Amino acid sequence: MNEVALLQNYLIVGGLLFAIGLLGFLSRRNMIVMFIALEMMMQGVAVSLVAWSRFHNNFDGQMLVIMIIAVAACEAAIALSLILILVRRSSNLDIAFWQTLREEGQEPTLDVEVPEPPDPHGDWPHLTPAGVDPELQPEQTGYRSRV
Amino acid sequence: MTLPTWLTIFAALFGLGLWLLLPRRIIAGRSAGAVLVTAALAVLASRMIPPGKESLTTNILFYALAALTVGSAICAMTFRSPVYCAIWFAVSVLATSGLLLIVGAQFLGVAMVVVYAGAIVVMFLFVLMLAQPEGLAFYDRLSFEPMLSSIVAATLVFMLTICLLTPGTLADTAPIDLAKAAGAAGAADGADADQSPAGPIVLGEHHVAAIGQRLFSEHLIAVQVVGVLLFAALVAAAAIAGQGRPMSDSTSAEGAS
Repeated sequence: MNEVALLQNYLIVGGLLFAIGLLGFLSRRNMIVMFIALEMMMQGVAVSLVAWSRFHNNFDGQMLVIMIIAVAACEAAIALSLILILVRRSSNLDIAFWQTLREEGQEPTLDVEVPEPPDPHGDWPHLTPAGVDPELQPEQTGYRSRV
Repeated sequence: MTLPTWLTIFAALFGLGLWLLLPRRIIAGRSAGAVLVTAALAVLASRMIPPGKESLTTNILFYALAALTVGSAICAMTFRSPVYCAIWFAVSVLATSGLLLIVGAQFLGVAMVVVYAGAIVVMFLFVLMLAQPEGLAFYDRLSFEPMLSSIVAATLVFMLTICLLTPGTLADTAPIDLAKAAGAAGAADGADADQSPAGPIVLGEHHVAAIGQRLFSEHLIAVQVVGVLLFAALVAAAAIAGQGRPMSDSTSAEGAS
Protein backbone atom coordinates (compact mmCIF):
# COMPACT_ATOMS: atom_id res chain seq x y z
CA MET A 1 0.00 0.00 0.00
CA ASN A 2 0.94 3.60 -0.49
CA GLU A 3 1.73 4.45 3.10
CA VAL A 4 1.88 8.23 2.81
CA ALA A 5 -1.44 8.32 0.93
CA LEU A 6 -2.96 6.02 3.54
CA LEU A 7 -1.78 8.28 6.37
CA GLN A 8 -3.00 11.39 4.59
CA ASN A 9 -6.45 9.95 3.89
CA TYR A 10 -6.85 8.77 7.45
CA LEU A 11 -5.81 12.14 8.82
CA ILE A 12 -8.38 13.82 6.57
CA VAL A 13 -11.11 11.45 7.79
CA GLY A 14 -10.05 12.05 11.40
CA GLY A 15 -10.12 15.80 10.85
CA LEU A 16 -13.58 15.58 9.31
CA LEU A 17 -14.86 13.57 12.27
CA PHE A 18 -13.37 16.09 14.69
CA ALA A 19 -14.87 19.05 12.83
CA ILE A 20 -18.31 17.45 12.63
CA GLY A 21 -18.17 16.71 16.35
CA LEU A 22 -17.17 20.31 17.03
CA LEU A 23 -20.09 21.49 14.92
CA GLY A 24 -22.50 19.34 16.91
CA PHE A 25 -21.07 20.43 20.24
CA LEU A 26 -21.30 24.10 19.36
CA SER A 27 -24.74 24.11 17.86
CA ARG A 28 -26.94 21.40 19.34
CA ARG A 29 -28.95 22.10 22.47
CA ASN A 30 -29.78 18.62 23.65
CA MET A 31 -27.27 17.60 26.34
CA ILE A 32 -27.11 14.00 25.16
CA VAL A 33 -26.43 15.05 21.58
CA MET A 34 -23.70 17.39 22.80
CA PHE A 35 -22.16 14.47 24.60
CA ILE A 36 -22.34 12.29 21.48
CA ALA A 37 -20.53 15.11 19.70
CA LEU A 38 -17.74 14.98 22.29
CA GLU A 39 -17.36 11.25 21.77
CA MET A 40 -17.21 11.83 18.04
CA MET A 41 -14.35 14.29 18.43
CA MET A 42 -12.44 11.69 20.42
CA GLN A 43 -13.15 9.16 17.71
CA GLY A 44 -11.54 11.45 15.16
CA VAL A 45 -8.45 11.73 17.32
CA ALA A 46 -8.36 7.93 17.65
CA VAL A 47 -8.47 7.46 13.87
CA SER A 48 -5.54 9.86 13.44
CA LEU A 49 -3.49 8.18 16.16
CA VAL A 50 -4.01 4.73 14.69
CA ALA A 51 -2.96 6.01 11.27
CA TRP A 52 0.25 7.42 12.73
CA SER A 53 0.84 4.13 14.53
CA ARG A 54 0.60 2.27 11.24
CA PHE A 55 2.82 4.80 9.48
CA HIS A 56 5.63 4.60 12.01
CA ASN A 57 5.23 0.84 12.48
CA ASN A 58 4.99 1.35 16.20
CA PHE A 59 2.39 0.41 18.79
CA ASP A 60 2.53 3.59 20.84
CA GLY A 61 -0.29 5.30 18.97
CA GLN A 62 -2.55 2.34 19.55
CA MET A 63 -1.65 2.32 23.25
CA LEU A 64 -2.71 5.94 23.44
CA VAL A 65 -6.03 5.03 21.79
CA ILE A 66 -6.61 2.30 24.38
CA MET A 67 -6.10 4.89 27.10
CA ILE A 68 -8.46 7.27 25.25
CA ILE A 69 -11.16 4.60 25.15
CA ALA A 70 -10.81 4.01 28.90
CA VAL A 71 -10.97 7.73 29.63
CA ALA A 72 -14.00 8.03 27.34
CA ALA A 73 -15.76 5.34 29.34
CA CYS A 74 -15.03 7.21 32.60
CA GLU A 75 -16.22 10.43 31.06
CA ALA A 76 -19.41 8.79 29.81
CA ALA A 77 -20.24 7.49 33.28
CA ILE A 78 -19.68 10.81 35.03
CA ALA A 79 -21.28 12.98 32.34
CA LEU A 80 -24.38 10.83 32.13
CA SER A 81 -24.85 10.92 35.90
CA LEU A 82 -24.47 14.72 35.80
CA ILE A 83 -27.03 14.85 33.00
CA LEU A 84 -29.36 12.70 35.11
CA ILE A 85 -29.14 15.20 37.97
CA LEU A 86 -29.75 18.16 35.70
CA VAL A 87 -32.72 16.40 34.12
CA ARG A 88 -34.19 15.67 37.53
CA ARG A 89 -34.07 19.35 38.39
CA SER A 90 -35.16 20.84 35.09
CA SER A 91 -37.16 17.92 33.67
CA ASN A 92 -35.77 18.46 30.18
CA LEU A 93 -32.50 18.01 28.36
CA ASP A 94 -32.21 21.59 27.15
CA ILE A 95 -28.82 23.11 27.90
CA ALA A 96 -30.30 26.60 27.49
CA PHE A 97 -32.35 25.99 30.65
CA TRP A 98 -29.11 26.49 32.59
CA GLN A 99 -28.16 29.72 30.89
CA THR A 100 -28.52 31.62 34.14
CA LEU A 101 -25.05 30.25 34.85
CA ARG A 102 -23.64 32.37 32.02
CA GLU A 103 -21.05 35.04 32.48
CA GLU A 104 -22.02 38.50 33.62
CA GLY A 105 -22.83 40.81 30.74
CA GLN A 106 -23.70 38.07 28.27
CA GLU A 107 -26.96 38.37 26.40
CA PRO A 108 -29.47 35.64 27.21
CA THR A 109 -30.58 33.26 24.49
CA LEU A 110 -34.27 33.69 23.92
CA ASP A 111 -36.46 31.47 21.82
CA VAL A 112 -38.38 34.04 19.85
CA GLU A 113 -39.87 31.61 17.39
CA VAL A 114 -40.11 27.90 17.82
CA PRO A 115 -40.85 25.75 14.78
CA GLU A 116 -43.98 23.69 14.81
CA PRO A 117 -43.63 20.16 16.12
CA PRO A 118 -44.19 17.48 13.51
CA ASP A 119 -47.55 15.79 13.71
CA PRO A 120 -46.93 12.41 15.33
CA HIS A 121 -49.96 10.93 13.61
CA GLY A 122 -49.32 12.57 10.29
CA ASP A 123 -47.94 9.73 8.25
CA TRP A 124 -50.14 6.90 9.41
CA PRO A 125 -52.73 5.50 7.03
CA HIS A 126 -56.31 5.91 8.10
CA LEU A 127 -58.29 2.70 7.99
CA THR A 128 -62.00 2.58 8.06
CA PRO A 129 -63.19 0.82 11.20
CA ALA A 130 -64.55 -2.61 10.43
CA GLY A 131 -65.72 -5.66 12.30
CA VAL A 132 -66.77 -5.80 15.92
CA ASP A 133 -64.82 -5.02 19.04
CA PRO A 134 -63.16 -8.12 20.46
CA GLU A 135 -64.55 -9.36 23.70
CA LEU A 136 -62.09 -8.64 26.51
CA GLN A 137 -61.40 -11.03 29.29
CA PRO A 138 -61.89 -9.48 32.74
CA GLU A 139 -58.17 -9.61 33.54
CA GLN A 140 -57.27 -7.90 30.25
CA THR A 141 -59.08 -4.70 31.12
CA GLY A 142 -56.34 -3.75 33.56
CA TYR A 143 -53.60 -3.85 30.90
CA ARG A 144 -51.88 -0.64 29.98
CA SER A 145 -50.35 -0.14 26.56
CA ARG A 146 -47.63 2.07 28.05
CA VAL A 147 -46.45 2.99 31.48
CA MET B 1 1.15 30.42 -1.22
CA THR B 2 -2.06 30.27 -3.25
CA LEU B 3 -5.03 28.45 -1.90
CA PRO B 4 -6.11 25.44 -3.93
CA THR B 5 -9.38 26.24 -5.68
CA TRP B 6 -10.93 22.84 -5.13
CA LEU B 7 -10.30 23.07 -1.41
CA THR B 8 -12.03 26.44 -1.22
CA ILE B 9 -14.98 25.02 -3.17
CA PHE B 10 -15.06 22.07 -0.81
CA ALA B 11 -15.10 24.24 2.31
CA ALA B 12 -17.81 26.53 0.92
CA LEU B 13 -20.05 23.64 -0.11
CA PHE B 14 -19.42 21.82 3.17
CA GLY B 15 -20.21 24.80 5.38
CA LEU B 16 -23.31 25.76 3.43
CA GLY B 17 -24.57 22.18 3.41
CA LEU B 18 -24.03 21.77 7.13
CA TRP B 19 -25.85 25.02 7.81
CA LEU B 20 -28.81 23.82 5.74
CA LEU B 21 -28.80 20.46 7.49
CA LEU B 22 -28.75 21.73 11.07
CA PRO B 23 -32.03 22.20 12.93
CA ARG B 24 -33.17 25.76 12.26
CA ARG B 25 -36.32 27.82 12.48
CA ILE B 26 -37.07 27.23 8.81
CA ILE B 27 -37.31 23.54 8.15
CA ALA B 28 -36.93 23.75 4.35
CA GLY B 29 -33.65 23.06 2.61
CA ARG B 30 -32.51 19.87 4.28
CA SER B 31 -32.38 17.86 1.07
CA ALA B 32 -30.46 20.67 -0.59
CA GLY B 33 -28.04 20.57 2.34
CA ALA B 34 -27.60 16.83 1.94
CA VAL B 35 -26.83 17.30 -1.77
CA LEU B 36 -24.32 20.07 -1.02
CA VAL B 37 -22.51 18.05 1.66
CA THR B 38 -22.38 15.01 -0.61
CA ALA B 39 -20.94 17.14 -3.41
CA ALA B 40 -18.35 18.60 -1.05
CA LEU B 41 -17.27 15.15 0.14
CA ALA B 42 -17.12 13.96 -3.48
CA VAL B 43 -14.82 16.88 -4.33
CA LEU B 44 -12.61 15.96 -1.39
CA ALA B 45 -12.60 12.25 -2.27
CA SER B 46 -11.69 12.97 -5.89
CA ARG B 47 -8.53 14.69 -4.67
CA MET B 48 -7.48 11.91 -2.30
CA ILE B 49 -4.76 9.59 -3.49
CA PRO B 50 -6.07 6.01 -3.51
CA PRO B 51 -4.28 4.25 -0.64
CA GLY B 52 -4.04 0.80 -2.16
CA LYS B 53 -1.59 0.86 -5.05
CA GLU B 54 -2.54 -2.32 -6.82
CA SER B 55 -5.34 -3.60 -4.64
CA LEU B 56 -8.72 -2.41 -5.89
CA THR B 57 -10.46 -4.06 -2.94
CA THR B 58 -8.59 -1.92 -0.43
CA ASN B 59 -9.49 1.23 -2.30
CA ILE B 60 -13.16 0.36 -2.52
CA LEU B 61 -13.25 -0.66 1.15
CA PHE B 62 -11.50 2.49 2.26
CA TYR B 63 -13.71 4.86 0.30
CA ALA B 64 -16.92 3.06 1.28
CA LEU B 65 -16.03 2.95 4.98
CA ALA B 66 -14.79 6.54 5.03
CA ALA B 67 -17.97 7.74 3.33
CA LEU B 68 -20.09 5.75 5.77
CA THR B 69 -18.15 7.11 8.75
CA VAL B 70 -18.38 10.74 7.76
CA GLY B 71 -21.92 10.51 6.42
CA SER B 72 -23.32 8.86 9.51
CA ALA B 73 -21.40 11.33 11.68
CA ILE B 74 -23.13 14.17 9.86
CA CYS B 75 -26.46 12.41 10.29
CA ALA B 76 -25.75 11.94 14.01
CA MET B 77 -25.17 15.66 14.43
CA THR B 78 -28.04 16.94 12.32
CA PHE B 79 -31.01 14.67 13.00
CA ARG B 80 -33.66 16.18 15.21
CA SER B 81 -34.56 13.14 17.26
CA PRO B 82 -31.81 12.31 19.79
CA VAL B 83 -32.58 8.60 19.50
CA TYR B 84 -31.70 8.73 15.81
CA CYS B 85 -28.57 10.68 16.73
CA ALA B 86 -27.45 7.89 19.06
CA ILE B 87 -28.17 5.21 16.47
CA TRP B 88 -26.31 7.07 13.72
CA PHE B 89 -23.42 7.52 16.12
CA ALA B 90 -23.37 3.75 16.58
CA VAL B 91 -23.26 3.33 12.79
CA SER B 92 -20.37 5.78 12.65
CA VAL B 93 -18.49 3.83 15.31
CA LEU B 94 -19.00 0.57 13.41
CA ALA B 95 -17.66 2.12 10.21
CA THR B 96 -14.70 3.58 12.11
CA SER B 97 -13.84 0.18 13.47
CA GLY B 98 -13.84 -1.05 9.88
CA LEU B 99 -11.36 1.71 9.03
CA LEU B 100 -9.19 0.63 11.96
CA LEU B 101 -9.30 -2.96 10.70
CA ILE B 102 -8.04 -1.83 7.27
CA VAL B 103 -5.08 -0.10 8.82
CA GLY B 104 -4.18 -3.15 10.88
CA ALA B 105 -5.43 -2.23 14.34
CA GLN B 106 -7.49 -5.34 14.92
CA PHE B 107 -7.67 -5.14 18.69
CA LEU B 108 -8.75 -1.51 18.64
CA GLY B 109 -11.36 -2.17 15.98
CA VAL B 110 -12.99 -4.79 18.18
CA ALA B 111 -12.55 -2.76 21.36
CA MET B 112 -14.19 0.23 19.72
CA VAL B 113 -17.27 -1.83 18.86
CA VAL B 114 -17.47 -3.32 22.34
CA VAL B 115 -16.94 -0.10 24.27
CA TYR B 116 -18.66 2.49 22.11
CA ALA B 117 -21.37 0.68 20.22
CA GLY B 118 -21.92 -1.87 22.94
CA ALA B 119 -21.76 0.18 26.09
CA ILE B 120 -21.85 3.89 25.55
CA VAL B 121 -24.60 4.01 22.93
CA VAL B 122 -26.77 1.71 25.01
CA MET B 123 -26.20 4.01 27.98
CA PHE B 124 -27.20 7.00 25.84
CA LEU B 125 -30.40 5.24 24.86
CA PHE B 126 -31.14 4.39 28.49
CA VAL B 127 -30.78 8.00 29.56
CA LEU B 128 -32.85 9.16 26.61
CA MET B 129 -35.64 6.79 27.47
CA LEU B 130 -35.45 7.91 31.08
CA ALA B 131 -35.46 11.59 30.33
CA GLN B 132 -37.57 11.94 27.25
CA PRO B 133 -40.25 9.36 26.71
CA GLU B 134 -42.27 11.67 24.48
CA GLY B 135 -41.52 12.72 20.94
CA LEU B 136 -39.50 15.67 19.71
CA ALA B 137 -38.90 18.50 22.13
CA PHE B 138 -38.66 22.11 21.01
CA TYR B 139 -34.96 22.34 21.80
CA ASP B 140 -34.22 19.55 19.36
CA ARG B 141 -35.73 21.65 16.59
CA LEU B 142 -33.51 24.67 17.30
CA SER B 143 -29.78 25.09 17.51
CA PHE B 144 -27.37 27.70 18.77
CA GLU B 145 -25.90 29.83 15.99
CA PRO B 146 -26.07 27.24 13.19
CA MET B 147 -24.35 29.50 10.67
CA LEU B 148 -21.40 30.40 12.89
CA SER B 149 -20.77 26.82 13.93
CA SER B 150 -20.97 25.57 10.33
CA ILE B 151 -18.42 28.20 9.36
CA VAL B 152 -16.17 27.10 12.22
CA ALA B 153 -16.41 23.43 11.21
CA ALA B 154 -15.77 24.11 7.51
CA THR B 155 -12.84 26.39 8.32
CA LEU B 156 -11.33 23.78 10.61
CA VAL B 157 -11.46 21.10 7.92
CA PHE B 158 -10.13 23.57 5.36
CA MET B 159 -7.13 24.52 7.45
CA LEU B 160 -6.35 20.97 8.53
CA THR B 161 -6.46 19.77 4.92
CA ILE B 162 -4.22 22.65 3.81
CA CYS B 163 -1.75 21.68 6.51
CA LEU B 164 -1.78 18.11 5.23
CA LEU B 165 -1.40 19.00 1.57
CA THR B 166 1.25 21.68 1.87
CA PRO B 167 4.45 20.38 0.29
CA GLY B 168 7.13 19.70 2.82
CA THR B 169 4.87 18.71 5.68
CA LEU B 170 3.51 15.26 5.10
CA ALA B 171 4.67 14.16 1.67
CA ASP B 172 8.31 14.25 2.70
CA THR B 173 7.80 12.56 6.04
CA ALA B 174 9.59 9.28 6.50
CA PRO B 175 8.59 6.78 9.15
CA ILE B 176 10.72 6.88 12.24
CA ASP B 177 12.79 3.73 12.31
CA LEU B 178 12.75 2.97 16.00
CA ALA B 179 14.80 -0.16 15.64
CA LYS B 180 17.56 1.76 13.93
CA ALA B 181 17.35 4.57 16.47
CA ALA B 182 17.54 2.13 19.35
CA GLY B 183 20.45 0.42 17.63
CA ALA B 184 22.30 3.71 17.29
CA ALA B 185 21.67 4.52 20.93
CA GLY B 186 22.55 1.06 22.12
CA ALA B 187 25.67 0.75 19.96
CA ALA B 188 27.51 3.06 22.33
CA ASP B 189 27.28 0.69 25.27
CA GLY B 190 26.73 -2.42 23.20
CA ALA B 191 23.54 -3.30 25.03
CA ASP B 192 20.33 -4.83 23.71
CA ALA B 193 20.45 -3.40 20.21
CA ASP B 194 19.35 -6.62 18.61
CA GLN B 195 16.31 -7.05 20.85
CA SER B 196 14.07 -4.63 19.00
CA PRO B 197 12.47 -6.63 16.20
CA ALA B 198 12.85 -5.43 12.64
CA GLY B 199 10.24 -5.83 9.95
CA PRO B 200 6.50 -5.39 10.29
CA ILE B 201 5.53 -4.82 13.92
CA VAL B 202 2.02 -3.45 13.68
CA LEU B 203 1.13 -5.71 10.77
CA GLY B 204 2.97 -8.67 12.27
CA GLU B 205 1.48 -12.07 12.84
CA HIS B 206 0.63 -12.13 16.54
CA HIS B 207 -0.94 -8.72 16.66
CA VAL B 208 -3.01 -8.96 19.83
CA ALA B 209 -0.29 -10.82 21.68
CA ALA B 210 2.17 -8.10 20.75
CA ILE B 211 -0.22 -5.40 21.94
CA GLY B 212 -0.73 -7.19 25.23
CA GLN B 213 2.99 -7.59 25.68
CA ARG B 214 3.62 -3.88 25.12
CA LEU B 215 0.66 -2.87 27.25
CA PHE B 216 1.75 -4.85 30.28
CA SER B 217 5.46 -4.18 30.03
CA GLU B 218 6.22 -0.70 28.68
CA HIS B 219 2.90 0.87 29.64
CA LEU B 220 2.24 -0.99 32.88
CA ILE B 221 2.06 2.12 35.04
CA ALA B 222 -0.35 3.76 32.63
CA VAL B 223 -2.58 0.69 32.80
CA GLN B 224 -2.58 0.86 36.59
CA VAL B 225 -3.40 4.56 36.55
CA VAL B 226 -6.25 3.97 34.11
CA GLY B 227 -7.58 1.25 36.39
CA VAL B 228 -7.61 3.65 39.33
CA LEU B 229 -9.23 6.26 37.13
CA LEU B 230 -12.00 3.86 36.11
CA PHE B 231 -12.65 2.99 39.75
CA ALA B 232 -12.72 6.64 40.76
CA ALA B 233 -15.13 7.39 37.93
CA LEU B 234 -17.37 4.55 39.07
CA VAL B 235 -17.48 5.88 42.62
CA ALA B 236 -18.00 9.43 41.42
CA ALA B 237 -20.83 8.47 39.10
CA ALA B 238 -22.60 6.56 41.86
CA ALA B 239 -22.13 9.45 44.28
CA ILE B 240 -23.29 12.10 41.82
CA ALA B 241 -26.31 10.16 40.63
CA GLY B 242 -27.41 9.66 44.22
CA GLN B 243 -27.39 13.40 44.93
CA GLY B 244 -30.60 14.44 43.30
CA ARG B 245 -32.71 11.62 44.69
CA PRO B 246 -35.40 12.68 47.12
CA MET B 247 -34.31 11.67 50.58
CA SER B 248 -35.91 8.70 52.26
CA ASP B 249 -37.84 9.20 55.48
CA SER B 250 -35.08 8.19 57.89
CA THR B 251 -32.39 10.40 56.35
CA SER B 252 -34.70 13.40 56.01
CA ALA B 253 -35.74 13.00 59.63
CA GLU B 254 -32.09 12.96 60.62
CA GLY B 255 -31.44 16.03 58.52
CA ALA B 256 -34.38 17.86 60.08
CA SER B 257 -33.45 17.09 63.65
